[in-house]
Amino acid sequence: MPRLNSFRELEHLRELLREQRQGITTTVMVCGGTGCQASRSQDVIDAVRDELSTQGLDQSVRLCVTGCHGFCEQGPVMIIEPGNVFYCHVSPADAFEIVSQTVMKGEVIERLLYTDPVSGEIFQTEAEIPFYRSQDRQLLSKNRMIDPCSIEDYIVAGGYSALTKVLYGVAPDNIIKEIELSGLRGRGGGGFPTGRKWKECREAPGDEKYVICNADEGDPGAYMDRCVLEGNPHLVLEGMMIGAWAIGARKGYVYVRNEYPLAVKHSRIAVEQARELGLLGKNILGSSFSFDVDIARGGGAFVCGESTALMVSLEGKVGEPRPKDVHTVIDGLYHKPTTLNNVETWANVPSIILNGASWFASKGTEGSKGTKILALTGRIKNTGLVEVAMGTPISTVVFDIGGGAIDGNMIKAVQTGGPSGGCLPLDKFDLPVDFDVLSEAGSMVGSGGMVVMDESSCMVDVAKYFLTFLQDESCGKCLPCRVGIDRMLEIITDITEGRGRLEQIDLLEELAETVSLTALCGLGKTAPNPVLSTLRYFRSEYEAHINEKKCPAGVCKALITYWIDPDLCTGCGVCVQGCVHQAITGGKKQPHVIDTQLCQKCGICRSECKFDAILIT
Amino acid sequence: MLQHVNVNIDGANIRAVRGTSVLDAAIEYGICIPHLCHVPYLPDIGACRLCIVEHVVNGRSNVTTSCTLNVEEGMVILTNTDKIRQLRRNLAELLVAQAPNSRAIQDIALRCGVKEVRYPFRNEDCVLCGRCVRVCTEVWRARAIGFVGRGKERHVDYPFGIRPEFCKQCGNCVQVCPMTIPPCDGPMKPGEEYLCGKCESQLMLADETPDHCVWCKLGEGFTCGRYVQ
Repeated sequence: MPRLNSFRELEHLRELLREQRQGITTTVMVCGGTGCQASRSQDVIDAVRDELSTQGLDQSVRLCVTGCHGFCEQGPVMIIEPGNVFYCHVSPADAFEIVSQTVMKGEVIERLLYTDPVSGEIFQTEAEIPFYRSQDRQLLSKNRMIDPCSIEDYIVAGGYSALTKVLYGVAPDNIIKEIELSGLRGRGGGGFPTGRKWKECREAPGDEKYVICNADEGDPGAYMDRCVLEGNPHLVLEGMMIGAWAIGARKGYVYVRNEYPLAVKHSRIAVEQARELGLLGKNILGSSFSFDVDIARGGGAFVCGESTALMVSLEGKVGEPRPKDVHTVIDGLYHKPTTLNNVETWANVPSIILNGASWFASKGTEGSKGTKILALTGRIKNTGLVEVAMGTPISTVVFDIGGGAIDGNMIKAVQTGGPSGGCLPLDKFDLPVDFDVLSEAGSMVGSGGMVVMDESSCMVDVAKYFLTFLQDESCGKCLPCRVGIDRMLEIITDITEGRGRLEQIDLLEELAETVSLTALCGLGKTAPNPVLSTLRYFRSEYEAHINEKKCPAGVCKALITYWIDPDLCTGCGVCVQGCVHQAITGGKKQPHVIDTQLCQKCGICRSECKFDAILIT
Repeated sequence: MLQHVNVNIDGANIRAVRGTSVLDAAIEYGICIPHLCHVPYLPDIGACRLCIVEHVVNGRSNVTTSCTLNVEEGMVILTNTDKIRQLRRNLAELLVAQAPNSRAIQDIALRCGVKEVRYPFRNEDCVLCGRCVRVCTEVWRARAIGFVGRGKERHVDYPFGIRPEFCKQCGNCVQVCPMTIPPCDGPMKPGEEYLCGKCESQLMLADETPDHCVWCKLGEGFTCGRYVQ
């Protein structure tokens, strides 16, 4: 494609592409995101493509491999326009049926439609499904019609019009004012007002400035950044261009972790395509604005998601945080003023420019505006990526969108904000998803991970899990983080293994406070949150571990014993075969017995038993 | 021409040279802020966190390390509040539990008011203050040693564990190392570590004159910035 030299040429191209696509009657959109790829959506895509060409439909039907739709659990998912028919759990064998019935005749195949696990109802379109119904999908909805590897798709959908709007008509200061008015706050975890960050960076002395997109998402269970970068890389690029124009940067970096190969690939393709069209490079669209973006791959250290560590890593050094007494907007990458924002933050920028600050500010609460993508996982019926307006209560997310607990269990808590966040109990579920409210409650919105736990989770064990993760991922530079987390883990391990003493709880609390106040970087400062929040809301569980030497949820191995209820045991012998430690004995049709000396508490027998005869105390 | 700024540290108005750290300005003036990883002629990394102070901005106080905080006009710093003393004591307790077998660390713990240690002792040989790495990198530009590993695995080592040719064995790394100072002979024998409290007289001194540098013997032990200069 030729280079575009003015915004008229871009508009002309858009018109041209739209005309070309008028001949297409039907579009088959198959999710090609990492989640659906894992459930072999590539095979489905190939099968549908073959089927379309054998039936001679490849000219009139467009097969679009899109980014993530959010409902990864139901993958591979497929949407067929017109009619917006939503199919889930599609297999390559269904391709013939889909093409010959739905694509050609418009008939709906009921077998492939989504069945709601709560009510048992069958839904035909995405919009009707309860999982999608309560969401406000501003960013994620764009994923479903765009092929991330095609800049044409993005342009047809109105892409890069926010860029042309600011290049030809909005002064940088006014862009910043608009972002400030919108109330957009950093989506990566800190929740720092984006407008203020940009303003400080613009005002910082120096000609050479940088913008960075932080796609080094490392929270266990969170993958919203991957999904946005993978599914709509041009949206992120456009946001970065607007930001760069506003603060006066000429160079940008996307720091994406190497564990996200698809995100790396798609963002690289996007940058190349944008360069080819002259949307990146010198004098973009004939204006005075020159800007280029490089993709940098991260090695996967959790700490490199911290802004200063990321910049050090980008400079080619060991990724360790620096003291932040001078902010990165003044002393950042290569000691130059640098604006670093999260993927989701950048992705929000183009729509704020296009629709205005008041549109964005109309969503959300007093302190937190717009929408937030949450990664909903854990012991609930529907898991996946959820985008809701800020201020939506947690209960709506967990019960309406998530569909409530599985296996008829009771939901006990939700862990928000990843390893740096905290656990909130059921009676706090009316709290809204809001930066300030959740921090006050001892948790945080963070990057937006949301892990739902039911009564089968031990909160002490949860705290231990996160501490183990953080101990592993701490860079080790400063004493409180390196030694403090290690000591907290030592104490918690003592508690879960029955060696705990009551005074250790106070020590744990004091140590957690010390670490959170004195650690060098944000990782260390928030590392004690899982401990502090579980201590605050689930202190009784800690006390049960210490006083009664019991784990109420039956998780901590040192404090539980497996036994077989002789009344329920039928002597079928399945558990005997399952037990790898030969700890179960018993005659045929006789109640079996577990030898507690040999039992390693792996739980295989319990999952094998059809009569629920194996109990834990 | 040296430019000066006025800083308020613990209520004292101090004229400090622009570009120096709060820690250096305080020590220069005789205000004692305990520290370990700071060495006057080396760049600071803020690893030990012992030199934390409260930096009051618009009525809100931030806890930050004074070695990495540069002086600015009109700055208000509190080095010796109850909060800071408690945090510092907790940090020193972590430190001494990690490596009780050095006089420097024992003295720091004493100076910060640690009277009992609530964690099991570990006899580490290194507290990762990074003095050796920085002296090798910044002063001698040799880069013969560096940090290896992450988190619990972090340690100081030669590249790939082999002494490179460009290590001239100058011994500067050993000189600045706080772990080379033999422990006080009373307590802290391997296997029976405890703080004996025999240095009570010095502890009293540290308790009574907590914010003024009195050129205490403790400072000599933990190679306080004042003694190094």
